[in-house]
Amino acid sequence: SAGPRLRLAAALNLLLLLAGAQAPAPSHRLTARDLARLRAALERPFADLQAAFYSIVGLDSLGARVADEKAACNFIKSHVDSSSVDSLFYAAQSIRVLSGCEVTVSNETRELLLAAVSEDSSVTQIFHAVGALNGFGLPLASQEALSALTARLSKEENVLATIQALETASYLSQQADLSGIVEEIEDLVARLDDLGGVYLQFEEGIETTALFVAAAYKLSDHVGTEPAMKEDQIIQLMNAIFSKKNFETLSEAFSVACAAGSLSRNRYHLPVVIVPDGPAAVSHHQPVLKAMTDVMSQPLTQASVKLDYAKSASSKATVLQQTAFALSGDIFELNFMNVKPASGYYDFSISVDGDKRFIANKVELKVKVSTEVGITNVDLSTVDKDQSIAPKTTRVAYPAKAKGSFTADSHQNFALSFQLIDANSGAELIPHQTFVRLHNQKTGQEVVFVAEPDSKNVYKFELDTSERKTEFDSASGTYTLYLIIGDATLENPILWNVADVVIKFPEEDAPSTVQSKNLFVPKPEIQHLFREPEKRPPTVVSNTFTALILSPLLLLLILWIKIGANISNFSFAPSTIVFHLGHAAMLGLMYVYWTQLNMFQTLKYLAILGGVTFLAGNRMLAQKAVKR
Amino acid sequence: AGGSVGSVVRRFLAEYGSGTPSRLKLLDAYLLYVLLTGALQFGYCLGVGTFPFNSFLSGFISAVGSFILGVCLRIQINPQNKGEFQGISPERAFADFLFANTILHLVVINFVG
Repeated sequence: SAGPRLRLAAALNLLLLLAGAQAPAPSHRLTARDLARLRAALERPFADLQAAFYSIVGLDSLGARVADEKAACNFIKSHVDSSSVDSLFYAAQSIRVLSGCEVTVSNETRELLLAAVSEDSSVTQIFHAVGALNGFGLPLASQEALSALTARLSKEENVLATIQALETASYLSQQADLSGIVEEIEDLVARLDDLGGVYLQFEEGIETTALFVAAAYKLSDHVGTEPAMKEDQIIQLMNAIFSKKNFETLSEAFSVACAAGSLSRNRYHLPVVIVPDGPAAVSHHQPVLKAMTDVMSQPLTQASVKLDYAKSASSKATVLQQTAFALSGDIFELNFMNVKPASGYYDFSISVDGDKRFIANKVELKVKVSTEVGITNVDLSTVDKDQSIAPKTTRVAYPAKAKGSFTADSHQNFALSFQLIDANSGAELIPHQTFVRLHNQKTGQEVVFVAEPDSKNVYKFELDTSERKTEFDSASGTYTLYLIIGDATLENPILWNVADVVIKFPEEDAPSTVQSKNLFVPKPEIQHLFREPEKRPPTVVSNTFTALILSPLLLLLILWIKIGANISNFSFAPSTIVFHLGHAAMLGLMYVYWTQLNMFQTLKYLAILGGVTFLAGNRMLAQKAVKR
Repeated sequence: AGGSVGSVVRRFLAEYGSGTPSRLKLLDAYLLYVLLTGALQFGYCLGVGTFPFNSFLSGFISAVGSFILGVCLRIQINPQNKGEFQGISPERAFADFLFANTILHLVVINFVG
């Protein structure tokens, strides 16, 4: 195979990558593994007639067949219950799919089914009856069925009933005016919930959403009208339905299978999947990206896949445009390396045409072009600080190691310069990682520096012992110098032991022991300093003062006696006694407040005592005033 | 100069002793007591330290407040000031004094800690 190529696979069903400018990004699809899981979920042994129906019709939607059709037919014949409309529906629709399976229908059964198509039955009953009649090939008056359905639907306004009405209408003759039912599609679309702009689903769940998609396309194909769903709505519906990878119930698996089948086989909308085969990267060594074809459906070999443009992600310059992909087997290929792109990331815009049913057929991919790096013009030199001696330069070629060692100390610096080029094209490269690593052989210390390119894209690194002694902890010794080159677009990252460098730091700075910067040893303990209690005077002092403070009281008593406090007029009137007692109680309350109570309790007692004392005092003073 | 101060003081004391009703003298003794108590507290605080500060403040404010209320009472019951306090009898003044003291000491006890 000539040269590196970019291979893409275009296939049906769901999307992986960014679609056009405004449509939401399709994020979910049925991969081969998902399809296998879905098939396995449907291929379970039949538990009952309803399970048989789900399996048979579900597998048919995926384009597969039941393993043993004869056994399935016998199962249906033995399990059908002629008195139940539901049972008849499952049987009828299953035998429609199985080849060579016939069930005879008696007249009573037919009458039962026709009677069920009336306004008095639920929508589900009408749906099953009409479906059964259709499956058995029995005649049915479509107009009456339609009017019964419409009448019943106006009473049962929920989502599931409406979906079942859509399915029912797809069994009725096109002579009947089905436009009323077709309009329900639009109403249902309006009831979908938009989740974050990515998913669109009913609040009833994914099963309901999947059943809706299947029913909408079935009816639209039947009447010949395009369903009223916009492209981004369809993509969002797909995201929601195919986000479900594990199926807890058979009915869930059935609904997803029906939706997948309808989205790949209807007359109006065909969602397109464009997937890079393997990682979206090209290089000189790995020319072919393995394409992953979507297994569920056939690849769209009738389509034409075209590269609209390929732009460099960083410079936005168009590298290639309007080139067609070539079909090779199942896979569409484009030889991108023919235009000799520089390494880096590119934005590809790809469109698929050929069928006007295609939707989401414009995709943007990010493609990485990788290359190999080469190191050239590697010069190691010792530069004298005083500029008195000319620098000694040694050239080294990758991957050899420089012979001899270089010294950097207080009067000479060590310098390294090199250039990086693209090994295939010879152009200069600026990778993300250009590191110079110095590793102390004895202590295990390592220090890493970044080498910077100058204006001419020549990388330079200089080691000045006086500037860098903190990084090295002033540990003198022999260091091995490594050059590390790396980038996402490089296929050959480099770790190259270039030389040995002896670094001598001035003696006075050398640490006594080299401490390994081990982060995980216990740190020195922090002694918590509790709050020091306030300095208090010795008890003697405060006791003395307490005694001292009582002395003015003594003085007061003496003075009062001396002045001649007249207590002879003390009348023992009740109000006087009450007053004095109350007042004393208030003073006592103050003491109790100090020792025990809080403000609220005190106020309570004070109110009582104060009230009493006030009244008594009032009386007492009034009497005093009168006496005066 | 020393002599004149001394003679003024002696004159004052003589006048005070004879001219002041004994009721007022009792009150004055009380005021002296409160003053001394407050001064002692302040001296202790200066000498020994302010810990605990809230207790010191509480005690000091009690002294100061009581002194002020006492002075108010003295002014109100002084017969020489009768003209100023027409509507307030001495009994009323005393009742006010007691009431105000109650509130003051309620706060003081709250604060003393």
